Amino acid sequence: MVKRKCFKRIIPIILVMVSLLMLTGCWNSRELDELGIAVATGIDKNEEGEFIIIVQVINPSEIATDAPTTRPPVSSYTITGKSMFEAFRKLTTKSPRKIYFSQMRLVVIGERLAEEGLMPALDFLYRDHEFRTSFYIALAKGESVEKMLSVITPYEKIPANKIMNSIKASEEAWASSKGTTIDKVLSALRSPGENPVIGGIELIGADYPLGDNKMNVEHVDAPTKVELDHLAAFKEDRLAGWLTEDQSRGLNFATGDVKSTILQIPCKEKGTIGIEIIRTKAGMTGKTNGTSPPKLEISVETEANIGEVACDMDLSNPDTIDYLNKETEKEIKKLIESAVTVAKEDFESDIFGAGNVFHRDEPRYWKKVEKDWNKHFKEMDCEIKVQADIRRKGNTTQPIDKKG
Amino acid sequence: MKPSGNDSSPSTSASRPLLLDLNESLQLIETTMGESSDLVVRHMQIGKTPCAALYIDGLVDKETIQNFLLEALMLEMPSKRVSTKHLYQIIKETSLPIGELKEVDTYEKFFKHLLSGETLLMLDKVDKALAASTRGWQDRGVQEATSESVIRGPKEAFTETLRTNTSLLRRKIKSPELRMDSMSIGKRTQTDVVVSYLDGIADEQVVQEVHRRLEQIDVDSILDSGYLEEYIQDGQYSPFPTIYYSEKPDAIAAGILEGRVAILTDGTPNVLLVPALFVNFFQSSEDYYQRADIGTLIRILRLACFNIALFMPSLYIAFTTFHQEMIPSSLLISLAAQREGVPFPAFVEAMIMELTFEILREAGVRLPKPVGSAVSIVGALVLGQSAVQAGLVSPAMVIVVALTAISSFVLPSYNIAIPVRMLRFTFMILAATFGLYGIILGLIGMVLHLCSLRSFGVPYMSPLAPFVPKDQKDVLVRFPRWGLFSRPTSTSKQNETRTNPTSKES
Repeated sequence: MVKRKCFKRIIPIILVMVSLLMLTGCWNSRELDELGIAVATGIDKNEEGEFIIIVQVINPSEIATDAPTTRPPVSSYTITGKSMFEAFRKLTTKSPRKIYFSQMRLVVIGERLAEEGLMPALDFLYRDHEFRTSFYIALAKGESVEKMLSVITPYEKIPANKIMNSIKASEEAWASSKGTTIDKVLSALRSPGENPVIGGIELIGADYPLGDNKMNVEHVDAPTKVELDHLAAFKEDRLAGWLTEDQSRGLNFATGDVKSTILQIPCKEKGTIGIEIIRTKAGMTGKTNGTSPPKLEISVETEANIGEVACDMDLSNPDTIDYLNKETEKEIKKLIESAVTVAKEDFESDIFGAGNVFHRDEPRYWKKVEKDWNKHFKEMDCEIKVQADIRRKGNTTQPIDKKG
Repeated sequence: MKPSGNDSSPSTSASRPLLLDLNESLQLIETTMGESSDLVVRHMQIGKTPCAALYIDGLVDKETIQNFLLEALMLEMPSKRVSTKHLYQIIKETSLPIGELKEVDTYEKFFKHLLSGETLLMLDKVDKALAASTRGWQDRGVQEATSESVIRGPKEAFTETLRTNTSLLRRKIKSPELRMDSMSIGKRTQTDVVVSYLDGIADEQVVQEVHRRLEQIDVDSILDSGYLEEYIQDGQYSPFPTIYYSEKPDAIAAGILEGRVAILTDGTPNVLLVPALFVNFFQSSEDYYQRADIGTLIRILRLACFNIALFMPSLYIAFTTFHQEMIPSSLLISLAAQREGVPFPAFVEAMIMELTFEILREAGVRLPKPVGSAVSIVGALVLGQSAVQAGLVSPAMVIVVALTAISSFVLPSYNIAIPVRMLRFTFMILAATFGLYGIILGLIGMVLHLCSLRSFGVPYMSPLAPFVPKDQKDVLVRFPRWGLFSRPTSTSKQNETRTNPTSKES
C-alpha cells in the first residue's frame, strides 16, 4: 500500500519532467551559432536627420582558427532609421543572425550627431537590456563613422578590441585620452555642474582605398589605421570643441585621472630631462569669500621618477632635485592652465566639474548660480597648486656622459 | 525465526526434535535432503553403539575430519566399553579434539549446522547430535583491494568468507569491547550476518536500530550486502547513499573506532557501515595515512570535483544558450567559432556526449580485459576525435564531458558517484529549459532533500547542517592526528576522547 502511494506521487513528477523536456528551446535560449556577436556600434545622423547605425559583427570562425580564409574577421552592417530602436530592429533585414549586443566593447559617435546632441542616442543604449554599460564611447574625428568601423586593423583581429585596448593603454601610460563609459557620460550630462568629455578616434590614411580590405594588413605599416585622438569637450550634450594633446593631459591632471605620463623638463643649460609621473592625487576646492568672481583651487600632488637625462647635470646634488621638482610643478601647472583657459574661453563649458565642487563646498552660492552656471564658470578664477616629488633616478645615478 | 506468511519452510520436519533411532533419523534426513549427492553419511560403530557422521562434501575440511574426528572416534574409542548415554557424554567432553563443538536437538538446527559446513555426529538412542566445526572450503584468500586502491596504507581487502572478515577486524582492534553480534537472514540462504561495533563507544540507539531493522527483514535470500542495504537504508527513494560500504578492513575499523556500526555479510567482501553522513563519502582512508596538509587539500579537490561532475555540463549549456553575456569575450568568440556548423543544439550535443560516455563506461566495466582496450580505442579515437573532425560535436563539449567524467572518478566512494551520474542529467535538462535559474532551482531542491535525509537517526548533512563546530576538524579540513582529539559527536555520544593532544612531540 505504501509503495502504491509513492508511485502515485512519482508519476506526476516524471510527467512534469518529461514535459519540461518537450518545452526546451522555447523562451529566450539562443545557440551560440545563431548569434551575431557585435563588438562595436557606430551611431551618426545623416543629412535627412535619420540615425545611421553601423554594427561591427565578428566572424568567429575567422578569428579563432588555425587556417584563415579570405573572409574578413569582422563584417559590418549599416542601416538608417527614424529612431535608434527602429534602426536596430531593421538590422534583422540585413544580417542573417540576430545581433547580440551584450559583448559590445565600443560605441563610436559621429561628429554630426555630437553636434546635434547625444541624448537621443544615449537613451536607447542605456535603456535597452541587452547593452552592457561597460562599453567605451569614442567620438569619430573628421571622418565618417562608417569608414572608421570598416578598417581592418593589423595585429588585433577585431578592430573594436584594438581601439579599446589603445584607449586603455594610452590612458594608463600617456594620459592624453580617457576611457569614457556611458555611465560617466550620463552622470556628467545629468549634473548641472559638469560637462562630459569623450575621447576621440581618428582615421589615418583615409584616402587609401583598401582600408576595409584584408590587403590593408598585408603591409608591414598598414596604410589605413585608426588612431587615438585627444579629448572632445561637450557643452551639455553637444560637441563644443576638441582639446589639444597638452590640454587633454592638463584636464586629466586636474581631475586626478593621470596614472602615469611623461613630462619634458628643460635642463639648466640646454637639453631636456624626461620625468615619469608615477602617481598623482588631485583635489579641487571652491571658495567664494563673499567676493565675486568665485575661486577654484586645484591642487595636485605627484610623485615622479627621472626617466631620461639628455644633458649634463649633477643628479647627486640635492639642489638639482629641488630644481627638477620646481620645473615639474611648473610644467604641470602650465598644462592645467591651458586646459582651464580653453574650457573657460573657447568652449564655455565646465568640463572640470567645477560646478560640482562649488555645490559641495559653497552650497548657498551654488543655489544662486546653478541655473546659468556656464556663464559664471567663464568668470571663475582659478588657482593651481602643484607639489612634485621626485623619488628615484633609475639604474644609474648620473647622466652617462657626466664628466668627472 | 519469524512467522512466515507466504513461503513454507524448507522441510516439514524442520523444527521437530531429533529422533531417538539412528536409522529412522538418517532416513528422515536423506528424504529431506532429497538424496543429494554431496551429503556424506559415514556409518561407524563405537563399541557396540552404531553412530554416523554427516557432512556436506566441499564445505568441510576433510583433513580435520580425518585427523580429529574419525581417528579420534574410530581408533581410540573402541577400547572403552560404556553405555550409550555415557559414551555420548565422553565423546562430548573428552574425546573430540576439535575447537568448536555444539549440541543440537532439533532438525532445524541440525540442518543449519550441516549446511554451513559442520560435521554432525549422531549416536543411536540419543536424541541429540554433536556439531563439530570442520568448516573449510575454497575461497579467494585475502587479496589486495580491487575497487579501492591506495598508495599508502594497508592494501588487504575483505573476502567472501565471513570468518576471515571478522578476523581481519579483530586483528585491527584488539579490544574485548569489540562486539560481533551474529544472526542469519534469508529463509533459504540462511546467510550469516555479523553486526560489529565497539561497546561503550557506539551509540546504543544506533546499535539497537541496526538490530531492529535487520531482524525485520523477511526475505528468502541474501547474496550480497547490497540486498541488506536496500532493506535497511533511510530515504528509500533518494539517489544519495545513506549507507557507506567498503572492502577495506582499515576503513571499516576506522569507522568502528569512530563509534559507527559495521554490518558484515557472508559471501561478499563489501562491508556496510552506518550511520553514513554526506561528508563520509569524501573521506578516504588514505587521508589519514598521508600528512594532514595534503589530506586537506585533496578533500577540497574532491569537493570541487563533485561539483564539476555534477554541474559542469549543465553550466556549459546554461552559459552558452542563455547567458552569453557572462562569458568573457575572447572565450565566447572561440566557443562560437567551435559551434559554427555543429548541427545540434548545445543541449542535444551534451546529451549525446554524456550518453556516449555512459555507454563506453558501462561497456568497459563488463568487458573482459583484453577486449577492454579495444573499447577505449574506439571510444577515445573514433567517438572523441572523429566526432569533432566530422563537425558533429564541438571540441569544447568533448573537453567538458571528459572533465566531467574524470572528475567523477576522483570521488573516493563509488557510492556517491552514482547520484552525481544521475542528477547530472536532471541538471542538464533544467539548464536547457531555464538556464542558470533552473540550475539554481535544482540546486536548492537538492540541498533541501539532502538536509531532510537521515542515516539511522543522524542528520545526513551533519556536521555541516546542523553545524557542529567541534566536528569540523575532520570535514573539509583534516586536522593533524593529535588534533583529532575527540570522536565525531554525531556518531559517538559517549567516551569521546581519542587522544591527548599534548602527547605529540612539541
